[in-house]
Amino acid sequence: MVAKDAKPSYEQARDELAEIVESLEDGSATLEESLKLWERGEELAKICQEWLDGAKKKLDAAKKPAQ
Amino acid sequence: MFETSSESPAPVRVVSEAIKDYVDRLGPIWIEGEISELNERSGGMAFMRLRDTSVDMSLSVMCYKNVLAAVQPLPANARVVIYAKPSWFTKNGSLTMSAKEIRQVGVGELLARLEALKTLLAAEGLFSADRKVALPKLPRKVGLICGRNTDAEKDVVENAKRRWPAVEFEIREVAVQGAAAVVEVSAALRELEAIEDVDVIIITRGGGSFEDLLPFSDESLVRLAASCVTPIVSAIGHEKDSPLLDLVADYRASTPTDAAKRVVPDIEQEISDINKIRDRMYRRLLASVEYELNQIAQLRNRPVMKDPSVMIKVRKDEMSALRDRSHRGFKALLDIEKREIKGVIAHLRSLSPQSTMDRGYSVVQNGGGKIVRDATKLKAGDVLRIRAAKGEASASVLASE
Repeated sequence: MVAKDAKPSYEQARDELAEIVESLEDGSATLEESLKLWERGEELAKICQEWLDGAKKKLDAAKKPAQ
Repeated sequence: MFETSSESPAPVRVVSEAIKDYVDRLGPIWIEGEISELNERSGGMAFMRLRDTSVDMSLSVMCYKNVLAAVQPLPANARVVIYAKPSWFTKNGSLTMSAKEIRQVGVGELLARLEALKTLLAAEGLFSADRKVALPKLPRKVGLICGRNTDAEKDVVENAKRRWPAVEFEIREVAVQGAAAVVEVSAALRELEAIEDVDVIIITRGGGSFEDLLPFSDESLVRLAASCVTPIVSAIGHEKDSPLLDLVADYRASTPTDAAKRVVPDIEQEISDINKIRDRMYRRLLASVEYELNQIAQLRNRPVMKDPSVMIKVRKDEMSALRDRSHRGFKALLDIEKREIKGVIAHLRSLSPQSTMDRGYSVVQNGGGKIVRDATKLKAGDVLRIRAAKGEASASVLASE
């Protein structure tokens, strides 16, 4: 698991998110743990989404002048 | 010789005669060179200039016309071997070789010598593939050695400019045939090699006779070309001609146009290639970003992430199920107890003397509360307790029988 204060790379964030979803789905965690996992999952999902949206925006911007 | 001083100098005639005396003692020798000038004067003598084939040196030669007639007609720049003796002309102090015999060097012989030189240079490794230097992709300047106003020059310059309009040339127009060719081409090559930003040198000339192309097989020029650090492209004559310069060149172009193609890239092609690569890169990257976006969307859409209240609901459901179970369990327990109590009561009832007493019997207990079963054991005065079907009464024994 990535330290919470360090900004993870996209792949680290995505892999951790996938792990969190899996452990939430198998339901073995306590409710308290589950809540913490869910919060962390939300945070990671947001990081991934922002990263990808930014990348796509950059790509779209780079594509325009070439056309 | 003679003693001279500023007080007693030797007159010209004495000196000139002395030189003539010395030169006349020299024997005839065989000399090879190219005839660059030829004058047939009246009076039976012919004068010519015999040039070295590699360097800028020449000798003046004279002979009787009949000596020359033996090899006439001679082509321009004919390569000849002469048997001559040096002669000193006292009249003007000049030295001339008097030829007794002139022989033209045959093509067959030249070819054989070329072949021998080729073998020698090959043995030295001058033609080996690992000596070849790769041509630059885009040279800062292109050195060009060619004839004056030749098609070869135009072909190279025009084709190179068509492919890469910004190409810069460093052009040296020189003699590309005849006696001066080796000297001028070599000088131009040295000059271009010394220019720092000339990154490639093209040596070109159009097709010509075997003799015309001979300078490009000259040993000194070939060795010079081999020693150049700058890559050299040769485009001499036609495909079938193969002067030795072709073999030491880093690239042998089939034509001047081919040479132009090799030294500069095609701008249209480059732009199109870059666009293609850019496009591929863009599409590849876009595809990965979209794939990842989809991955993240899927993760976010999983029920556990989309609706975290399920996590609570599951537990709430669990809780109410447990509560239900505990209710049901307790109720069942209660039912069992109730049923058991009923049985016990029934049993109790079946054991009760009440019904018997209802039929008129009474129960007599003694003072200790014990049921009296044997009246003989009673004594007068004992207090008894009588229990009827309804109510109780105290009594005392009057007499025992």
